[in-house]
Amino acid sequence: MKKYFFIPLLLFTVLLAGCINKKIIDDVNITTGIGIDKEGEQYLGSAMIPVYNPDKSIENFIFTAKGTVVRDLMFQMQQTSSQPIVGGSLDVTLFDETVAREGIPHVLDVFLRDPSVGARVHLAVVDGKAKDIFEGKYGDRGNGRYLAELIESNYKTGNLPLTNLHQFLHDYYQKGKDPVLPYLRQTRPDLVNIAGLALFKGEKVVDVLDENKLFYFKLMVDYYSEGALKIKDEHGESFIKSIHSTYNFKVKNRNPYKFSVTLEVDGMLTEHTGKSLEKGEIKRIEKQMEKQIKKECLALLERFQENKIDPVGIGHFIKTQTRNFDFKKWEESYQNASFDVDAKVKIVEVGVIE
Amino acid sequence: MNNFFKKKKRWLQKSERSVEKQEQEIKKSLDYSKTHFINQKNNKTFTLTFIQTLVDDKIVNNNMLPPLIEEEIASVKEVEKRLPMSDIFVSKDKNEIENKLFHGYVMVTFDDSPEEFAFIGAAKNIGRSVTSPEIEFSVVGPKEAFIESLDQNINMIRKRLPIKELIAEEFKIGELTKTKVCLLYIDGVTNKQIINTVQQRLSEIDKDEISDSSYLTQIISDNGNSPFPQLLDSERPDRIVASLAEGKIAIVVDGSPHVLIGPTQLTEFFNSFEDYLLNWILASFIRLIRLFAVTFSIMITPIYVAVVTYHYELIPKDLLSTLIISRRVIPFPPILEALFLEVTIELLREAGARLPTKVGQTIGIVGGIVLGTASVEAGLTSNVLLIFIALSALASFTTPVYQMSNTIRILRFPFLFMAELWGLLGITIAFGFLLTHLLRLTSLGQPFMEPIFPFRVKDYKDALFRFPFNMQAKRPIFLRTEKPQRFSEEKAKKKKDIDE
Repeated sequence: MKKYFFIPLLLFTVLLAGCINKKIIDDVNITTGIGIDKEGEQYLGSAMIPVYNPDKSIENFIFTAKGTVVRDLMFQMQQTSSQPIVGGSLDVTLFDETVAREGIPHVLDVFLRDPSVGARVHLAVVDGKAKDIFEGKYGDRGNGRYLAELIESNYKTGNLPLTNLHQFLHDYYQKGKDPVLPYLRQTRPDLVNIAGLALFKGEKVVDVLDENKLFYFKLMVDYYSEGALKIKDEHGESFIKSIHSTYNFKVKNRNPYKFSVTLEVDGMLTEHTGKSLEKGEIKRIEKQMEKQIKKECLALLERFQENKIDPVGIGHFIKTQTRNFDFKKWEESYQNASFDVDAKVKIVEVGVIE
Repeated sequence: MNNFFKKKKRWLQKSERSVEKQEQEIKKSLDYSKTHFINQKNNKTFTLTFIQTLVDDKIVNNNMLPPLIEEEIASVKEVEKRLPMSDIFVSKDKNEIENKLFHGYVMVTFDDSPEEFAFIGAAKNIGRSVTSPEIEFSVVGPKEAFIESLDQNINMIRKRLPIKELIAEEFKIGELTKTKVCLLYIDGVTNKQIINTVQQRLSEIDKDEISDSSYLTQIISDNGNSPFPQLLDSERPDRIVASLAEGKIAIVVDGSPHVLIGPTQLTEFFNSFEDYLLNWILASFIRLIRLFAVTFSIMITPIYVAVVTYHYELIPKDLLSTLIISRRVIPFPPILEALFLEVTIELLREAGARLPTKVGQTIGIVGGIVLGTASVEAGLTSNVLLIFIALSALASFTTPVYQMSNTIRILRFPFLFMAELWGLLGITIAFGFLLTHLLRLTSLGQPFMEPIFPFRVKDYKDALFRFPFNMQAKRPIFLRTEKPQRFSEEKAKKKKDIDE
């Protein structure tokens, strides 16, 4: 009997093989971008599909549908498509501001239930309509790649903190921290700009941080900040690229809460409009930058307090320092907390001309 | 051994037969020769019987006949004493006649005593001379390869191992071919149990015809139903000697230019002898490249089929457009596309191997370039897959042992089949089966997957890597040698200066 055990095995192999749904890459519509807009009381969903031409150029085709349930949108789009629409290679998901202000996690639910959607999908909130952004033509790699790379490269070398689906959900489910998402704006038919950062309170957007505040925000949430900052003093303007930064939170006082935030920045002077770097000029720039960081960071923290949001994660930090931490009490005491920001700037490189 | 000859009771088994009757049977062949001569000193008549095609005329005419005719020789006893030749013996056994005649001996009988025979060795040696190795060619190192003669082959091994401990045991296998098979090992080094196993398996072979050593590989392997060869064959005397010195056995078969080595491990099939002729760093690097090439060769097409059919999510975003563009005009599903190319490559290989060298090269070029380009242009296959298939074919040629490279060749087909059925899960299942099979395999009773499993760190010194010689002071554990230490490790490491 043992001798013939492979016969049923072989039968299963051949017979059950038909049960698997094949998705041959050139026979499916691979969605690279999904946009959710609000139009009246209904959602307007758009799915962007790259069309690969034989001359290796890439065009975009957009399926749209209207409905009240996101899953229904997908189903309607499917009805107009000749090939199955699949989402396993999704690059970006955009929400217009109206949707975002109403709350996105129940929209996201659709993606979370689909195991083929990766955790590194980029989410963003859009000024205007997501569909309009998809209808532009950016770069030559397809709009999906363009938008994903825009966000990725701004995270790696710019002032944007890490914001993908994974990080968003992490912050969302983390008590004492609120998620943030990039805020995109179409500036030209072929260009999209990162206009700021959408700040969430729970699942809803409550505030939008302007682009020029991003550097200070990233200093407080990210260690290896690669952002850049413009410093202005009486000798001219300087442009400082941060090559390394650390943040350190400390509890100074508990009732009422008083936190000290220490930010250390190692910077590189990449441009200076003064005639030459005089003696002590570097020290002055450092001082000026410290002053600026202190001022702006404190302003940011107070602004968050005012909006009752906590994208920096102060609540999470204090929880790690306290036994039997009570979040209900914290919400009140957060309003009364005060901050003490200290910045240490060190310019380690000024370039080759001295 | 005796047991073995007694067991044969078939139609060829000779009962006691008269000389005349045997003569009647042999006479039917045209090359049978029986001549009568008269001794000039004592006028006695004697007869020379031999098979012309097997006997060297020069030896008969120059060395045998002059003394037999001119000197006073009256009986076979005197033949043995007075003839200036070494290979002579006298017998009264009639059963010896057929055996000796057909091995190139000349039978001398005197008419007054027809029941006594003297056999004189005068075998003709026709064979090619020693040439350089073709399959296991190396740029550096000896350029000698085995030939079809057993004596010459053993001579090449003995020259390199001039010690009395090198034992050469002879077996005769095959009722029809009576092939001489020689088992070589170093006494006091090689494990007795392994020797016994081989002796037993060789003596139990029941096949009428043995033409080459690869017959033996298939017959005496532990698992004859495995696609993996379990005995290594080599055409290089230096490799055989190195293996013998390690404590392995070697089997030389008459008429075969390939000598078998056992027991072996899987990793040994991916070692070339040139690894020992190069610096250990280079050799280890090349070995790792070969192992990578093998994995690549087996896996790349199945992975392509699995990913393109089921798992488009796995494809890097930048690669997606390349793949889709290359596949957009292809009317077939990926599996047919892959099978089409794989079969084409196999056809090319087979055609190239069967045709004479010069025509074979043309086939390779015509097939490879013309067919490949044409099938892409015709939209039958995607150019990405064409690159993968060509690379995997190239990678499979890096396996230094021919038998193993054939195995690698067919191994990808079950993987391809499973990839089409179940995607990456199918590949995993197929790999599970392959691994189970490999783990169960043994070579002459020793685990085939050693040192990977059973895991033995010490045997890694000459498996996936080739560590320097001073670290190879111990023989491999899996051979269970009687003398595990080869040389002193400390002494090997010391490099004395002349003035010390």
